[in-house]
Amino acid sequence: MQRSRWVGAGVLASALVLTGCSSGPAGVAAKQNSKATLELWTRTTPGGPGEQGALKLAAAFTKATGYKVKVTAIFDDFETKLQQRAAQKKLPDIVMNDVTQLGAMHSQGLLREIDLDKIKDSEQIIGQGLDSGKSVDGKQYGLPYSAQASALLIRKDWRQKLKLDTPTTWDDFAAMAKAFTTKDPDGNGKKDTSGLAAPLSTKRGYASWYFSNFLWAAGGDFITEAGKGTYKPAMTSTASVKAVQWFRDLGCKDKAIQPGAVTMDTPPTNETFESGKTGMFVVGPYLLPRFDETLGKDKYEVVPMPKGPKDATVLAEGGSVYLMAGSDNEAGQDAFASFAVSVEGQKTGMEGDTAYTVQLPVNKAVDVSQVRPDPRWKTYSQAYQDSGRYAPSIPNWTPVRQATADTLNALMADCSLNTEAKLGDLDKQLADILKEQGIDAS
Amino acid sequence: MSLDQAEPVAAPAAAPGPRAPGRGRAAATARQGRSRRSGRWWTPWLFLAPALILFLYFKFIPMANALTMSFQEVQPYLGNKWVGTENYSTVLQSHGFREAAWHTVVLAAGQTAGSMALGLVLALLMEGQGRRLRFVRSAAFLPVVVPIAVVAELWRIMYHPTGDGMLNSLLGLVGLGPSGFINDPDTSMASIMLTGIWRGAPYDMMIILAGLTSVDRGLYEAAKVDGASRWQRVWYVTVPGLRSVFSILFILAAIRGLRVFTEVFLLTNGGPDGSTEVVMTLIYKLGLEQSRLGVGAAGAVLLFVATLILTVVVQLLRRRESK
Repeated sequence: MQRSRWVGAGVLASALVLTGCSSGPAGVAAKQNSKATLELWTRTTPGGPGEQGALKLAAAFTKATGYKVKVTAIFDDFETKLQQRAAQKKLPDIVMNDVTQLGAMHSQGLLREIDLDKIKDSEQIIGQGLDSGKSVDGKQYGLPYSAQASALLIRKDWRQKLKLDTPTTWDDFAAMAKAFTTKDPDGNGKKDTSGLAAPLSTKRGYASWYFSNFLWAAGGDFITEAGKGTYKPAMTSTASVKAVQWFRDLGCKDKAIQPGAVTMDTPPTNETFESGKTGMFVVGPYLLPRFDETLGKDKYEVVPMPKGPKDATVLAEGGSVYLMAGSDNEAGQDAFASFAVSVEGQKTGMEGDTAYTVQLPVNKAVDVSQVRPDPRWKTYSQAYQDSGRYAPSIPNWTPVRQATADTLNALMADCSLNTEAKLGDLDKQLADILKEQGIDAS
Repeated sequence: MSLDQAEPVAAPAAAPGPRAPGRGRAAATARQGRSRRSGRWWTPWLFLAPALILFLYFKFIPMANALTMSFQEVQPYLGNKWVGTENYSTVLQSHGFREAAWHTVVLAAGQTAGSMALGLVLALLMEGQGRRLRFVRSAAFLPVVVPIAVVAELWRIMYHPTGDGMLNSLLGLVGLGPSGFINDPDTSMASIMLTGIWRGAPYDMMIILAGLTSVDRGLYEAAKVDGASRWQRVWYVTVPGLRSVFSILFILAAIRGLRVFTEVFLLTNGGPDGSTEVVMTLIYKLGLEQSRLGVGAAGAVLLFVATLILTVVVQLLRRRESK
C-alpha cells in the first residue's frame, strides 16, 4: 500500500514536472533553413474552390521562387485551431486570414513584424489596405492580399415583377424589403418570402459584422477615436441609436428579415437567398460564384448599397498574409508575402471563375475589369474604393464585435426590449473592453 | 496462469526453522498469504501502465496545464505572465456569467430528469426478448449514435419558426403556434432541452434495460398476488430495484448536462438575447473566440470544480443511504 502511494506520488510529480517544462516562454528565433517547406494555413472550406485557389497561388509561388509550400485549408474554428498550435509552440509559417484577426494575434505575440523594405511592390499596395495591416502602434504585422466591400444583391425577377426601381435611399430599401415580404414576389400564392437575408447569430459576432454596413452609413459607430490612439464607446450616439432603431424596425415592425435570422450564421443565411426565400442580401463578392451556380446569374443583380442618413459607407474587409513567429524559414515567409501582393501573385490569385483567392486586387497596378470583365466586379471595386471602411486597428477587435453582436442579437430577438437602455448597457461593456486593452479615452 | 504461479516466491516461512513466537508466526503467515494473493507490488501497475501513460499525456498533463494557465495571461510566444486570480475574477464578473451558470443548472436538471423519465418509460415499454423488440430498441437507440452536428441540423429544420415548419405544422393541427422555438428567447431554452432529452433518453433506456434484468421477477409475482396494480408494481418494485442504476445515470447525466456545449453552440450559440448561454459557450467565447486562453482555462477549472462537487455530494448521499 505504501509503495502504491509512492508510485502514485511519482506519477503526479512527473506530470507536474512535465507540465512545468512545457509552460516556459518559447524561443522566437528559430534556427533558419531556407529549404524548409513553408506551412500555410488559409481560412477557407477544405475541398472547396478557396482551397483550390490557394493551391494554385502556392504552386505559382513555388515556380517563381523555388520555395516549397504545404497548404492547409481550415474554415470552422480556425482561430481555435491556431490557438492549439500556439500552445504547442509550433505555429504554421504563414496564415492567410481576415484582417480583423490582426490585433488578437499580435497581442499574443504570434506575429512577426513585416519589413516593407523586403516586400517588392509594397509601394503599390492600396493605402487603406496597407493601413489595415498595421497594429495599434503603427507597425506592419499583416499584408493585405485581397480586399472586398459590401454591395447589395437583389432578386432581379422579383423587383421587376413588383415594378420597383433599384433602391437609392434607405426608404427605398425598406420599402423594397417590405414589398418582397408581403406582395408574394415569387407568385406561389404563399406568404413565404422575406425582404432581407441577414446572419444575426452571435457566432463570430456575425450580427455586428452585418450591421456595421448600416451603422456607418447612418454616421454611427461602435467606438470612436478620441485622439492619441484612444477610443470611447459610441453606441449611444444619436446616429447609432437611430441606425439600430431603423434596422430593428425592419425586423420587428415590417417582419422583413428572414425568420430564424437571430440563430443563423452565414451558411443557412446564404441558403435563404439561393433558395428563393429572401430577396435582398448585403454581402461581399465571394458569394457570386456560388449564387451564379445555385440561383442563376440572370436571377439577381449587384448594386451599390443605397445611401444612408450620412453616406453610403460599407464594411471593407479582406484577407491578410500574416508571417507567424517562430518560423525556421523567414526568407521564405518574406518571399511569399512579396509574391502575394505582386502583380503576378494578384493576377494568379484572381484567375478562374470560382477558385480564386483574391477578390479585389490590392495592387494598384492590377485593374479588376481587365482580369474580370464582369461589370459586377467593377461595382464591388467601386464600393471598396469610394465607400469602404475597415474596422479600426485596436489590440483586439473581437471582444468589441462580440459585445455589439450580443446586444444587436438581443434587440432583434426580443422586440419588447428598450433600445436605448440596451445600448446604454452596451456602452458600459465597451468602456470596460477598451479599458482592459489600455486604449480608453478616460 | 498468473505470474506468481509461474515464478514461485521463495518462502522462508515454509522451511523448517527456529520456532517463532506465536504472534510473529501469525504475522508471517498473514504476510505470506497476502504475498501469494497479491503477487509483486508492481504487477497491477504493469497492467495499468498503458492506460495510465495515455491518461497521463492526454488527460492529466493537459489538465495540469489548464490549471497553470488559469493563473496566467497566455502568450506562448511572448512568455506567459502570472496574473494571480485575475482570470477567475474576469470569468466571474463577465457579462452574463451568473445567467449562464443558472441556464446551465436549469438545462442540466431538465435534461437529466427528462432523459431519465423518458428513458424509464421507453425501457418499460421495450423490456422483453421478442425479435421485434430488439429491432425497435435499436431504432430507438439511433439518436445516441447519430453525430450531434447532424442532430442539431435536423432539429434546426424541425424548429423552423414559421407556420410551415415541421413542428409548427404539427402544432397548427391542434390549433397552436406558430412558435419561434430556438428563435424566441421565451422558448429557446425549452427547445434546446427537448433536443437534449430526445438524444439522451435512449442512452438512459439502454442502461435501465440492463438494470431491469437484475430485478427479481418473483417480486412482481408477489406484488401481483398481493393485489398491487400495474402502476404500484412499477413504483414499489421496479423503481426501488433500479436505485443504483438511477444514481449512476444521475451522475452521468448531470455531468453531461453541466458540460453541455455542442447542441447549444450549433443551434443557438447562446442566443437569442443570451437566453441559452451556458457556461461552456461563455467559456468558449471568452477563451477561444477572443483568444484569451487564460480566462477560458479559469472557466474550465471552475466548471470542473462544480462537477467534482456534484459527483462527491451524490456519492456521499448514496453512501449514507446504503448505510
